[in-house]
Amino acid sequence: MKTGMQRPAPPECRQACDRLQDYLDQTLPKRESLAVFLHMRECGGCRAQLEMLQALYAKLGDLPPLEAPADFDARILAAVPYEAYRAMAPLRSPRVPILLVHESLPAWLRSRSVRLVGLVAATAALAAAASGAAAGTAAWTVAGVGCLPELSVRLQNLTRRVYVATVHRSIPR
Amino acid sequence: MFDRIEDLKLVRRCKRGEEAAFAELLGRYRNAIYGLCFRMTRRTEDARDLAQEVFIKVFSLLDRFDETYAFSSWIFRIATNHCIDHLRRNRMRFLSLDGFTGPDGEPMDLPLPDDGPGPDRLLERSEAMERLEEVVADLPPHYKVIILLRHDQDLSYEDIAVVLDLPLGTVKARIHRARAMIQQMLQARSYEI
Ligand SMILES: [Zn+2]
Repeated sequence: MKTGMQRPAPPECRQACDRLQDYLDQTLPKRESLAVFLHMRECGGCRAQLEMLQALYAKLGDLPPLEAPADFDARILAAVPYEAYRAMAPLRSPRVPILLVHESLPAWLRSRSVRLVGLVAATAALAAAASGAAAGTAAWTVAGVGCLPELSVRLQNLTRRVYVATVHRSIPR
Repeated sequence: MFDRIEDLKLVRRCKRGEEAAFAELLGRYRNAIYGLCFRMTRRTEDARDLAQEVFIKVFSLLDRFDETYAFSSWIFRIATNHCIDHLRRNRMRFLSLDGFTGPDGEPMDLPLPDDGPGPDRLLERSEAMERLEEVVADLPPHYKVIILLRHDQDLSYEDIAVVLDLPLGTVKARIHRARAMIQQMLQARSYEI
């Protein structure tokens, strides 16, 4: 196939030719794309141009893949400052208000066993109240106090996550 | 073509100093960056050095990488700038052979001229492909890089605009111009593809 770009004279050909690349890139609005398509069906000159360009696109996209030489990585990996990255890693963790840090809650409150005992006690108290074995007010108080450790830990986690995701934007520039 | 989310995960692991993550990121981009450098310079030695320098730069600047961009855009930006700088420096070397003088009026050092394109390591190349590669190689650097990003690396116009830090309209116009130049050069050399 010959490569060449003699512009055909008629204005509709000129217009179609100007749009050929956009047409092949599929960046034309539908109507204009259709107009080019229809013109290609009736005009051999422009169709030849299109086929030439199409062949060029295909060949350019078909350049053989290249592979880096076998010993390519060594020099690069030897130059990475791993230690510096490790040293800087803690500085990168998001900073949050002190109330949202785990340690701001007392250790006993955060302990898994305290939270579990609290939940068990709360469940027992509610069950007792439901079966009429305990007075309502007392049962509700025990249930409320029992849930407190678990609730405070969960509330803190949730707030911190929301804070990091919204206010802090967590990603250092 | 490049998985943005996976890249970001690897980048974050790199930022924690995990050696395996660097190796994996390198594995993902090794051939793409080397290929770009080779087709920009057409010299095996230069391509290897340039591509290695790109990765060294990327890995030592990783902390400054703005995660709102794709990692692929960032590494291609560093690679294209590096290649174009290299071609510019080389042009200066050729100029200096013709009696180019430095800013102080003293004749500059005359390095040995390049000995042409080095042997490449392609398995199979049709003659037509070779001619096309030759024509692409002869494009001015800014047109060559944009053709390679679009057709060889398969980047979208939008991604190329980010990589080259150009308005989308300029990217489109430049790619169109580059393709027209390729057609004209093929015709002028009576090459058929
Ligand atoms: Zn026509």
